[in-house]
Amino acid sequence: MLNMNNISRIYQSDTIQTHALRDFSLRVNEGEFVAVTGPSGSGKSTFLNVAGLLDNFDRGQYELDGVSVQGLKDDELSRLRNEKIGFIFQNYNLIPDYSIFDNVDMPLRYRGFSASERKRRVEQALEKVGLASRFKYLPSQLSGGQQQRVAIARALAGEPKILLADEPTGNLDSLMARQVMEILHNLNNDGATIIMVTHDPDQAREVNRNVQVIDGQLADFKIYAPLGRSSEVKSKTISEAASAAVAEEVENA
Amino acid sequence: MPNDSMFFYNLTLAMQSFKRAPTLYFLIILTLSIGVGVMCANLALVNSMASDPIPEKSANLFHINMNTWPDDQPPDEPMHILRYRDAMAVTKSNLTKGSAVFYASGVYARDAESSSMKRFDSEVRATTPGFFELTNAPFAYGSAFENSTGMEIVIGDELNQKIFAGKNSVGKTLELDGELLTIVGVLKPWLLRPLFYHPTEGRAFNLTDDIFAPLETAIDLGWSIHARSSSAVNYTGIEETRDKDVYYLQAWVELADINQKPALQSYLDNYSQQLKDAGEHPLAIKNELHNVNEWLKVNKVVDQKVLAFTLASVLFLSVCIFNASSLLLSRFHAAKFEVGLRRAIGASNRHMLVQGLTESVLLGFFTGVVALVLSWLFLKLSVQFLPRLANIAVLEPKLLVLGMLLALVTSIASALYPIYRANCYSISAELK
Ligand SMILES: Nc1ncnc2c1ncn2[C@@H]1O[C@H](COP(=O)(O)OP(=O)(O)OP(=O)(O)O)[C@@H](O)[C@H]1O
Ligand SMILES: [Mg+2]
Repeated sequence: MLNMNNISRIYQSDTIQTHALRDFSLRVNEGEFVAVTGPSGSGKSTFLNVAGLLDNFDRGQYELDGVSVQGLKDDELSRLRNEKIGFIFQNYNLIPDYSIFDNVDMPLRYRGFSASERKRRVEQALEKVGLASRFKYLPSQLSGGQQQRVAIARALAGEPKILLADEPTGNLDSLMARQVMEILHNLNNDGATIIMVTHDPDQAREVNRNVQVIDGQLADFKIYAPLGRSSEVKSKTISEAASAAVAEEVENA
Repeated sequence: MPNDSMFFYNLTLAMQSFKRAPTLYFLIILTLSIGVGVMCANLALVNSMASDPIPEKSANLFHINMNTWPDDQPPDEPMHILRYRDAMAVTKSNLTKGSAVFYASGVYARDAESSSMKRFDSEVRATTPGFFELTNAPFAYGSAFENSTGMEIVIGDELNQKIFAGKNSVGKTLELDGELLTIVGVLKPWLLRPLFYHPTEGRAFNLTDDIFAPLETAIDLGWSIHARSSSAVNYTGIEETRDKDVYYLQAWVELADINQKPALQSYLDNYSQQLKDAGEHPLAIKNELHNVNEWLKVNKVVDQKVLAFTLASVLFLSVCIFNASSLLLSRFHAAKFEVGLRRAIGASNRHMLVQGLTESVLLGFFTGVVALVLSWLFLKLSVQFLPRLANIAVLEPKLLVLGMLLALVTSIASALYPIYRANCYSISAELK
């Protein structure tokens, strides 16, 4: 689904160069739920932004759903973002004076769908996050957890191949965080591929795979609930799991 | 149609944007429309001054200047006013398709059958009958008089409105300074901007005349000359001028083919040469033919002050654009988050550009409406101060269109840099 090879992202300012990602390689299979953890400033958001085509990279290869993204033009990248990727932000990023409906409808506007098709998809997406009855509300009339669920509905409305979430529960109390996590797990059970940045070790533990980013590089693999052919690696030590994953990486390359 | 719906979506977004910052957009519209309004008012003046009043034949109509003054004072320059016999010689040329010889006069007019004694101060054009065809004068009723003699007249729309309430007055009789003349034709409203057939003596923006009377009749009735005249001799009334050295008639000719101009020129030059050979004048042979636009130029119909003001209003408009641009910059800066978000969920740079342009086109439309109202007010106001602008300070339909286009262009121009800046930010910068 997602295949990154030796990606580097360097932020250049007047005086300093920050290597936010250095030779970063990761492969995520279809249907996987991957948690990305790591210290603050290690490059998690940078990785997610590059994965979501919100940011470009300086070196390396990146293939998304079989499409090699380097060298694509702006409108091609935009179409990929619109059709294949659903992004969920820590701050929800809803437009405050738009109704819930209009917020969820937004990505569909750039798709050329008919009004009835858009309505069907918005309703379906709001249904999935349990907010179908609130479509006329403004974001400010909802709780933080509900707002994040609206943001998830917005990400789902375009029926993307992959959901990218940057600390989706970072602003929520544990009860609301739970609800959001349940929705993500349900989506994953229905077949969605999800990559989520999180600081919560419990959340990281309950997904298929936890990767750790340290200093712009992938540090470690922890596989908790194996998927598909990697099912026999259930109880390996960390180093064994890591080498197995590397082997898998090589095999897939 | 996806494109249609995108267009309407962008329109809604633009309206939303206006609603979010109404004061700011009000200021932008005001700034731009004052600039466009001033510009447009000024262009209205220039347009009236510089336009061709008779485009269908302006190249074929020639005003005649001749050099037949009997001594060398005033100096050796051809004059725009001719002697009766010189003017008649011009009309006798068989090179021309038509000609008009006239002078300006004035009478008091009243309906001869009316019980009211009210008289209207009326401008008179005493002319040969060729005038109407040469100037394409538009007839509402009746037709031109056919001879330079006879007690017949053609009247203009304004006088017909005043005396006969605009009804068909052909056959009615007017009393003009005590003489009875019959109306044979009534003109439609007739605006010539500039008044090409008589732009001299600062009359380029006068209205067309109230009464058109046969030349010989006017001379016989002694209707005085209301324009420039020069005479080398003493005379008591215009009725004596036919064989005297009194210069007061203007002459126009129409050529079917402008290639005949050299032939006409030599016809005039031969005529002058004959006079000179007969010892009637000592001057160099120097006759001039100016077509309509040349004649307007010679008479400096386009006011240099107005042109200087045009330059000033161009500068003023650019200041307005810079101002609006900086206001829009702050607006687009505030909208960075939304731009980032829209890009993140799949809007391309082109989508955002079209959205920004749609907004500025809508802004330009509102600006255009306000600007046209303002420029109408500016023109009204300028007529208050300078009444002589009354017939020039008009917004023709083409100026309404021009004003609208100008508003759209300025609005887009002031949005270009802000739109460019708004789309420069990296998508992820505003999104956490
Ligand atoms: N736009 C930018 N310009 C310059 N440096 C940047 C920019 N964005 C991120 N960085 C730097 O890149 C590095 C990685 O940042 P990133 O946001 O990916 O970290 P993170 O792992 O998401 O941290 P956190 O857990 O705090 O969100 C940091 O050192 C950061 O300072
Ligand atoms: Mg981060």
